[in-house]
Amino acid sequence: MGFLARRLAALLAVLLTVTALAFGSLNVLGDPLFNVVGFVASVDCDAVLAGEVEDVSGQTAGGRGDCEVIEAAKREHHLDRALPVRYGLWLGDIVRGDLGTSFKNEMPVRQVIGEKLPKTLLLMLVAEVFGLAIAIPWAVAAAYRANRAFDRVSTVGSFGLLAIPNFAMGIILFYFFVVRWQVFPSRFEDADLLARLKSLVLPGLTLGLPLAATYQRVLRTDLITTLQEDFVQMARAKGMTDRWIMFRHVLRPSLFSLVTVFGLTTAGLIGGALVVEQIYSIPGLGRAVVEAVIRDDFPIVLGAVVVIATGFVVINFTVDVFYSLIDPRVRRDG
Amino acid sequence: MLSVQDLRVGFRTERGVVRAVDGVSFDLEAGSTLGIVGESGSGKSVTAKTLMNLLPSYADISGSIMFDGRDVRALARSRARHFWGVEMTMIFQDPMTSLNPVKRIGQQIGECLTVHLGRSRSEARAEALDLLDRVGVPEPVKRLRQYPHELSGGLRQRVVIAMALACGPRLLIADEPTTALDVTVQKHILDLLDYLRRERGMSMILITHDLGVVKGRADDIMVMYGGRTMEQADTATLFAKMRHPYTEALLETIPRIDAPSHSRLVPIPGKPPDPIDVPSGCPFAARCRACTDACLVDQPALTAHGATHLCACHAPVDTSEGMVAREANLAAGRTPAGLDLAVFAGVRDHPGDDASLDVPSRFAGPGDSGPVS
Amino acid sequence: MDDPTSVDPGSSSESVEAFASPAAGLARKQLGFGFWLSVTWVAVVVVVAVLAPWLPIADPDQTGFGDRLDAPGWAAWFGTDSNGRDMFARTIWGARVSLTVGFIAILNGLVIGGSLGLVAGYFRGPVDRIISFAFFALLSFPGLVLALLIIASLGTSLMVVSMTLGILSIAPVGRLARSATLSFAEREFVHASRVLGATHTRIMVRELLPNVLIPMSALALLGMALAIVAEGGLAFLGLSVSDGFSWGKMILLGSAPRTLRDAPWVALVPIGAMFLTVLALNYAGDRLRQHLDVREMAFGGG
Repeated sequence: MGFLARRLAALLAVLLTVTALAFGSLNVLGDPLFNVVGFVASVDCDAVLAGEVEDVSGQTAGGRGDCEVIEAAKREHHLDRALPVRYGLWLGDIVRGDLGTSFKNEMPVRQVIGEKLPKTLLLMLVAEVFGLAIAIPWAVAAAYRANRAFDRVSTVGSFGLLAIPNFAMGIILFYFFVVRWQVFPSRFEDADLLARLKSLVLPGLTLGLPLAATYQRVLRTDLITTLQEDFVQMARAKGMTDRWIMFRHVLRPSLFSLVTVFGLTTAGLIGGALVVEQIYSIPGLGRAVVEAVIRDDFPIVLGAVVVIATGFVVINFTVDVFYSLIDPRVRRDG
Repeated sequence: MLSVQDLRVGFRTERGVVRAVDGVSFDLEAGSTLGIVGESGSGKSVTAKTLMNLLPSYADISGSIMFDGRDVRALARSRARHFWGVEMTMIFQDPMTSLNPVKRIGQQIGECLTVHLGRSRSEARAEALDLLDRVGVPEPVKRLRQYPHELSGGLRQRVVIAMALACGPRLLIADEPTTALDVTVQKHILDLLDYLRRERGMSMILITHDLGVVKGRADDIMVMYGGRTMEQADTATLFAKMRHPYTEALLETIPRIDAPSHSRLVPIPGKPPDPIDVPSGCPFAARCRACTDACLVDQPALTAHGATHLCACHAPVDTSEGMVAREANLAAGRTPAGLDLAVFAGVRDHPGDDASLDVPSRFAGPGDSGPVS
Repeated sequence: MDDPTSVDPGSSSESVEAFASPAAGLARKQLGFGFWLSVTWVAVVVVVAVLAPWLPIADPDQTGFGDRLDAPGWAAWFGTDSNGRDMFARTIWGARVSLTVGFIAILNGLVIGGSLGLVAGYFRGPVDRIISFAFFALLSFPGLVLALLIIASLGTSLMVVSMTLGILSIAPVGRLARSATLSFAEREFVHASRVLGATHTRIMVRELLPNVLIPMSALALLGMALAIVAEGGLAFLGLSVSDGFSWGKMILLGSAPRTLRDAPWVALVPIGAMFLTVLALNYAGDRLRQHLDVREMAFGGG
């Protein structure tokens, strides 16, 4: 239990740091007022009050004077308080589920994220499934024929696969399977789960192929190492077939590096999802974030970033715990 | 039961062909134990692995191996699935690394039973419990669910033995089964192997570098060096009438409890021959104090020195050729191979001559009456 | 026991040397032909990019160099894009931006990350814990997302983009520098310096830094490849350098479905350029790393 508790504490520490980083960078690097009210912030309220400039209130929703909006925002978001205090208050809001309101359409950020996130998650899941499903048999085949022709070719192939940036891969796949051969739909179809999955095949492959290359390289190395172990020889002495040994004895102890890499590559996956959603027009969280950044819609940016970062930290934590399940020796040492 | 004829094994490597086994032959009868003795690199483990079909693909094998009239090499080529592990099985030196660290003991013992004999999980579990009991593992129920790292070295080796015997093999090959264990445990394990062998009417091949281990436990002994058989005989004859200088040297290396205090331990000078660049003549020539000119050129053939006693030597111990060769070397101060005889000063000439022939080894098996047993 | 049998079910003779120790399973890796080929390619690209203003190539922004969407041919070696601009010239000019960003980013990472790692590994204790936690937190943040955050706040100039990518590389470089420092800091020559009265700074700079730079150099090549790809990704999202164009931006411009269908080279040429350069950097970096690792082993790691 001590093991889990310690990991949990580390998880919370990182979450706090990460949210502080997000909040801080936007409020320190940018204009906090702008982050809250958007372009209205450019109104010079002192001048308006002094009567030097016309009140531009017609442009804001609800018809209230801009300066009143600004004053209200300052009060509501405590913009006169110090940064750490604002952070704490904002954190309190987040925990209660209030992520702010989008500038674009006044919708609560929570709702926007709630709509878009599942699609991104589904995409990531499909990518991981592809990645593992391709990598494991590939690595087993390569390790079994270590240093022979198949293995050498597959190493070169992995390298090549990893050198293709994900957006390039996406474009190439899009070009062949959508534009030329028209095997897959060109836009995301949302009708039912099956249609969604079908639309996610290409994007999933785009992300999953480089993933498979990485996984395969790592797994193959560990498999080869494990194959040198004496208990493999003992298993052969017991008359077990090579295939049995490979899948029942060798695979499980060889998963460590793979599990580690799995956690690390999830980061790349999130970034990759941003790009892939653009290419394949998937209405997921990634695309929403990018659009929000371009449009300076800060509540969305901040909210999405927090959600993504939290998810990422949680995934790593889960990976750590899973790690200990695979190897009973780790459980003991914590 | 087992008949090996002219077995030769070479490995194709970058540096050339490694001749690991160079013409080995022996027979093993049902229910008996053969001890194969030799130092590292003598080819004894490779011989065993050849029997067990554990060699990699770049090994070249020639010669015949017949088990109960079946051609073992043909079985290997045809990838027979229920032969090894069932009829013939092997255990290795280090029990810790022989066991899969992430699998429970019960699973590993039961594997043979479920895969080869088609037992169900519960049947396999019951048999595994029985096996653990027979090999003397206390609290077997608890042990079944444990992992290898939770057991001590001696227990692990017992588990390995149980695992090997699960399917009731007719032949067990034990490659240095006690080398990695504590001294106090070693005797117990060897006794256990002996007991199990007799109980099941199993045959055993006991591979070791220590002559003391096989004394009293093997029916026949084969001494190997440089991939070849140097001497082969039943145990009593070997110790009473050893003929090969290498066998003699091996005996001398065993410390004796009744030797005068501060006697020097006698190693065998020199090192094993390079298996790729095999020198002509007898492989032991460079280190042998009875070396003659012929030894450097002609590989000695196995000749009979008794009904079941074979020796490959030009100047065997206790023969006229042998004595002549030794005296000539002593006079010259060195052998034709260039070995300086000053190393052997103070060594008794024929350790096997002693009245109390018994080797006072801590491994003395039953039926051995030495000063210390 | 010197037993030339290993249980590799399918290894060739090359992977078992009869009496080699198990640890030397990897052959001693020479840098090899591939390494030098990769380095040459990168050097060529860099040189051509630097010399671009003086090379006898077309103006990359000049529309009407050829017809719109000309296929690659004699007049335009890489064809023209949808505005009739010469793809060959554009590829070279695009290299300037891509390479610059990559270079500044990794330099940034090396300097900041390397220093932090060196300090953490040398002083240990609370300093190390703080820095390591910072690394851990930074690594816990999805990279592209952090980049988005910063760019959202600060805009899309060349400097911002480069520095942002630089910040992303601090943690991986830093961790490597730290572990390299840790392994060296206990060696005799460091103790000797301290005994002679050298200050901490002196030790770090003169004794540890040269040794730490060795493994970092391999990482630098790999990092630069990553930075180029990352910038490409940002450009593709429309978030990269706004004045000037990089390979990523060119790919974006070429990826409209109609353009893809009618003139795939507009996207494929910059993809190819980026692919080759990144592949070369990755391969060279990996080779270098293997070569250096084995040397460490041969000298008996501490």
